[in-house]
Amino acid sequence: MTEFLKGNYELKVDIEERHEDAEASATDEFERKALSRLGGSICFVSKKGFLWTGDKSDGSRTTDRTPAE
Amino acid sequence: MTDLGRRIARRLSDATFERVAAVGAENAAVNRPRIGRSLLELAEERLGAGNAAVVIGAGPSLYRRRSLERLVAVDFTGAIVAVDSALGACLRLGIVPHVVVTVDPHHERIVRWFGDPAMVVAPADDYFRRQEMDPHHAEDEIEANRALLELVDRYGPEIRVAIATSAAPAVVDRCEMAGMRLYWWNPMYDDYEKSDSLSRRLHAQNGLPCLNGGGNVGTAAWVVSHAVLGKTRVGLIGLDFGYAPGTSYTRTQYYPELRDLFGERFTDAFIHLENPFLGETWFTDPAYYWFRDVFLGMAREASCRTFNCGEGGVLFGDDVPMTSLEAFVEESRA
Repeated sequence: MTEFLKGNYELKVDIEERHEDAEASATDEFERKALSRLGGSICFVSKKGFLWTGDKSDGSRTTDRTPAE
Repeated sequence: MTDLGRRIARRLSDATFERVAAVGAENAAVNRPRIGRSLLELAEERLGAGNAAVVIGAGPSLYRRRSLERLVAVDFTGAIVAVDSALGACLRLGIVPHVVVTVDPHHERIVRWFGDPAMVVAPADDYFRRQEMDPHHAEDEIEANRALLELVDRYGPEIRVAIATSAAPAVVDRCEMAGMRLYWWNPMYDDYEKSDSLSRRLHAQNGLPCLNGGGNVGTAAWVVSHAVLGKTRVGLIGLDFGYAPGTSYTRTQYYPELRDLFGERFTDAFIHLENPFLGETWFTDPAYYWFRDVFLGMAREASCRTFNCGEGGVLFGDDVPMTSLEAFVEESRA
């Protein structure tokens, strides 16, 4: 919550993050990290076709170019 | 069996970004001065006769069904596209792929599929002793590596590598040292239409096409065969996305990770499917199941017809019928 709300005033009461929320967020973080170990070697992007060669006018590379020395 | 494996599989799209995006972008920055030809230039080379291609993965059916020996016997003249981990098996039988595809950003492992010149002792990492993809490495790692170095050095100048910018610099070194010709591309990491897209940023930096890889190098090789080479009939061998009946769980790709995550419950994460071609029950883990699901979805959208000629695994469906390799090659000639 604290990263979304900022104020220029002082509250008269202390607001604590609910224990359950903090726990759920820690669990999500663990699962995210753990699942990343099972992921693939390349992403899959849904509904984006097989090959993207850039917007038409951006000069996508299709011709010879030798590596820099 | 529970549906744990399927539930995990549904979350692997985001998890993969978490796993590969940072290291892939880092490797792309290091590789940038060495980037030459674009993957799109492969299309101009008109590789292989006719409209057919065979894509070679390194799944267990490749050995079980002797698919490579049979490929030699049928005298296939179309394009041959292999994944990096199948290169050794191909070269040992005298099959020199037109294109080898590599993408995984791992800093130490992937170079081994090309022969690692820096390896003098068997590493502590037991990946190659445990993996199911090339049994030669499990027997004697040092000798397998030495033999592969020799083969790749001999045939390298005849081989084109479709190499992702995410590849580890050690892989680039090795391919260049062996005289292989490199054709570069960016993995599609995310929706390129979004302004903060990593795919868009990489494309803006290096001008290379972004290829939607479907989670793994085998699917990326299939995309190369039809979306880049323009082949309209694609046969798959060794793209199993699963394990043969009787395989020990300890010899599966993600065993250590599943064991760490689920402890004694790890077997619940495996999914069992009957292979209709052989009438056998194969099993798969959440990652491979995700690859399968994604591949079947992509096959529906592809402008080619895809046939699984591997006679094994879990990759089959209306858009990926199973057939024998001999029937596929015969019909491709007609």
